[in-house]
Amino acid sequence: MKRNNTMEKNMEKQYLLLVLPGLIIFTIGLIIPLLLAFRYSFTSWDGMSAEKPFVGFKNYLDLLQDPDFRSAWWFTLKFTIGNTIIQNVLALLFAVALDSGIKAQKVYRTAFFVPCLISALIVGFVWLKMFSNVLPAVNELLGTSFNFLLFGDGKTVLSGLLIANNWQWVGYWMLIYLAGLQSIPGDLYEAAKVDGAGAWTRFKNVTIPMLAPAITICVVGITTGSLKVYDLLVSSTKGGPGRASTSVIYQTYATAINGRQYGYGSAMSVSLVIVLLLVALIQVKGLKSKEVQQ
Amino acid sequence: MKKKLISLMLGTAMVAGALTGCGGGGDSAPSEAPAPAENEEAAAGAAENAGGGDVSEPVTLTVLAGQSTTDAGIEDMIDEALAEQYPNITLEWECVDWGNDFQPKMQQYMQSGLPDIMIGKAQDVATYAPQGILGEIDATYLDRGLDAARENVTIDGKTYGLVYNALYQGVYYNKTMFAENGWEIPKTQEDLQAIIDDCKAKGITPFASHMVDTWSIGNVTMQFMMNDVFNNDPEWGDKFRAGEVSFSEDKAVQTAYQYNKLIFDNTYPETFSTEQTDCDAKMVLGEAAMKVSGSWSIQNFLDIDESFDFGIFPFPNQTGDSKLIFEPNITVMTSANSEHQDAINCVLDVLTGNKDLAVEIYDYTKTASMLKDVTPTFANPSQEDIDKYAADGMIVDVTLGNNQLVWGGFQEENAKDIAAWLQGDAEFEDALKASDGRVGASSAN
Amino acid sequence: MAWNKKKQAEEAPHQRYTRTTLLIQIIMSVMAVVFIAPLLIIINYSFKTKKELYLTSPLSLPSSFQLDNYKKAFDKLNLATTFTNTFLYTAVSVLILALLCGTTAWAIARCRARFFKFCYIYFIVGILIPYQALFLPIYIIGYRLNLTNTRYGIIFMYVATGISFGVFLMNSFMSTVPIELEEAARIDGCSVFRTYFTVVMPLLKPAMATLIIMQAFQIWNDYLLASLYVSKKELKTLTVAIQSLFSAQTSDYTTAMAAIVISVLPIAILFMSLQKYFIKGMTVGAVKG
Repeated sequence: MKRNNTMEKNMEKQYLLLVLPGLIIFTIGLIIPLLLAFRYSFTSWDGMSAEKPFVGFKNYLDLLQDPDFRSAWWFTLKFTIGNTIIQNVLALLFAVALDSGIKAQKVYRTAFFVPCLISALIVGFVWLKMFSNVLPAVNELLGTSFNFLLFGDGKTVLSGLLIANNWQWVGYWMLIYLAGLQSIPGDLYEAAKVDGAGAWTRFKNVTIPMLAPAITICVVGITTGSLKVYDLLVSSTKGGPGRASTSVIYQTYATAINGRQYGYGSAMSVSLVIVLLLVALIQVKGLKSKEVQQ
Repeated sequence: MKKKLISLMLGTAMVAGALTGCGGGGDSAPSEAPAPAENEEAAAGAAENAGGGDVSEPVTLTVLAGQSTTDAGIEDMIDEALAEQYPNITLEWECVDWGNDFQPKMQQYMQSGLPDIMIGKAQDVATYAPQGILGEIDATYLDRGLDAARENVTIDGKTYGLVYNALYQGVYYNKTMFAENGWEIPKTQEDLQAIIDDCKAKGITPFASHMVDTWSIGNVTMQFMMNDVFNNDPEWGDKFRAGEVSFSEDKAVQTAYQYNKLIFDNTYPETFSTEQTDCDAKMVLGEAAMKVSGSWSIQNFLDIDESFDFGIFPFPNQTGDSKLIFEPNITVMTSANSEHQDAINCVLDVLTGNKDLAVEIYDYTKTASMLKDVTPTFANPSQEDIDKYAADGMIVDVTLGNNQLVWGGFQEENAKDIAAWLQGDAEFEDALKASDGRVGASSAN
Repeated sequence: MAWNKKKQAEEAPHQRYTRTTLLIQIIMSVMAVVFIAPLLIIINYSFKTKKELYLTSPLSLPSSFQLDNYKKAFDKLNLATTFTNTFLYTAVSVLILALLCGTTAWAIARCRARFFKFCYIYFIVGILIPYQALFLPIYIIGYRLNLTNTRYGIIFMYVATGISFGVFLMNSFMSTVPIELEEAARIDGCSVFRTYFTVVMPLLKPAMATLIIMQAFQIWNDYLLASLYVSKKELKTLTVAIQSLFSAQTSDYTTAMAAIVISVLPIAILFMSLQKYFIKGMTVGAVKG
């Protein structure tokens, strides 16, 4: 413990100086608000009046029995799992396809990427119009009768939102996979070929392991992003029909702000942070350990 | 081990520091804004302000405007009129959507200090005035408005809101279609059912609706409740909170909820994917005969076809004595702690005194005037019907219901349950129970 | 370095153009059309009149080429101001972020003291904080520190909310920075600061580029923080201005569509013309991780 090394201590101080500014900004801007929310979560504050009556764990106990909150979680989980799988698979497929030596790679890259330049708020609005006006018109034009009214039914709203969200983000993650693919040395494939490995085996044994870091970034990015989904809903389904597409954050916002139950809403945010924390820790641990093995 | 302990302690120390350092400040006096001697100033301002006071120095007032669909754009008109009458005053507008963003903005500003002027709806007065943050409106300006305007924005004899215009809500109907088919204005549910049946026989969709908008479901539900519940029992909301009545037990309330099903069963199947503009277009194009709505649809109707002929009648209730619903809309509130009371009064003077401006706003928003001696000049085909109900005293102010059962957190949430029920995702009883469970959120205070 | 390999890959693709490649080309072309279609629809809408919007099929072309919607949107968005603001907030925030995240991540990676490990976890927590749900406390803090309605306030918040991800990204990149160089510099008598700025930072450039671009997207498109911290007209951002077009005038879709086009166009052009650098920057850091 006592390493009487002044040099080491001195350096530690300098390192500390490097960390400190970021630490302070981060603490003030995000951690203190989180702690405030933590404090509010033990009150029945309405978000308006001066008094914030302390109610202990009541909000948390209520949460456990709140069917709306539960269904919000259920939706968020389905959305997250769906997104993580579809987005990763699609992005990887697209990347592989683009890397397969097709012509005009740049054009495709741009086409897939441009949607993520648009804010989620606008994406939601655009897809609302797509599903309710544009695609039905396509039906009419082609004489087909696909059900495009995905936002209009509790059973299909999830797929509709997945489409919208994937439309926006696939290109983004695709680029990361693409760069990963292009940084794999060609001789690795050659060596595998010499060993008689087929396309699938090569993909499984060379591509995937070499992409591990990119996969970590993508999986963590997509899951944490999806768990926090909010903007997309505001301008499209508004959490409906009914509550079919109400995410945890949407429900929190509706309760804390419009419902004037800030204390209760704060308990919701705190529980979300805890879950996010657990998920991320598990994911990072799991994925990182795989990276190391390979 | 020791290192772990140290880092843990450090962590705790940081957390604790953060909590005390900031938490201490967090609860002290959130809603008191700097208020340097504004009382004398305000009094002085009010005294000399019979026709609007003098503001010699340039002043900028902040305005938070919670607008609904039809109101956006009036800020430019007000700016223009103000520039002519009181060139020293400039307004700094922050226009937000009333339904989604007004309440959050208000909560936000209650932590820091309110804007000088807030524009919302009549029901906001009941929400915010008890917090002691709204200023009383000077009688000079109130007197220029209709007496009906004061009713639901007055608390304990003090009026905190200046109601500027009004909407009418009920069933908008295609007059031409009604005439062609020989339909009479329905008074009872049986009359209405007869029209629905005839519509169906003739391949006409009875109702246009846009249930994708939860607010629309909430809005029509309140219309139904006004005529089937509040007309018989004007204190139903208070009794609900007192535990005397409930959604699960009160048949009248359930009937009101059930009307949603009547609409849902008699509208086009894609109602949960149809937005208001598309819905209004269908109405104008003659694809549907009726639409339960409010004056906000008029702007759309006339935008699509300026010769569209429509009327309005109240949605029939069980007893056949429905009243047309009237909703005070744009309501101007002022901060109790503003440093610029004179300037605020000047703005109120422009709003209530400038008849050209008022007519311009009413014509633009297609709404009814709440000022004495001011009548909008736009051709409103439904005016005839409105006048008729007004003459018969068959008009009721929906603020009565909205004050007792608030929109945010209650009506809005109930509407989501109703939507889930209509979609078959929940039982009717669940929707009722959920409404009962929300009793704590049914009042703003 | 990753991009050297990438260059090789681009110059000498390891696949020949076969029938499979053609099939893939066709499939991807279809996908590309599907991806672009909504954007074309927006552009199409933005030229229609209000009446056409109601009465004609969404697929039909506007009857005449009129720019009224654009004029209206241009006016409503107050474009000169909002665009400059958004650009300024984004640029300054990402530069500060690049600087701070670099130093922070490096210090965390190099210093073995427990406190720095704790710091890492502490920062990572930030990625997970749904700041949308904390809007009132964030505002309260901002108001108390006089950060609301100021340019530095909103930049401060962007830095605070972006720093977690930045540290995470930079930290995963740090393992590729050869520690031998640093040690050599230290033996030459360089202080920690000098080592960082002369030896480490140049090596971090690709990661910084990634960070800058990723964060720039976030900040450019941010709605919540901007609407929370800024209410003065002269400080407003593009997204906030657009949102007011949506919510307040839900019936005026055509203007809203024009506004979308106006807001996306500059950044889309920027992306297309700088695509090469963009992608390089965006991905090198991430892939190396």
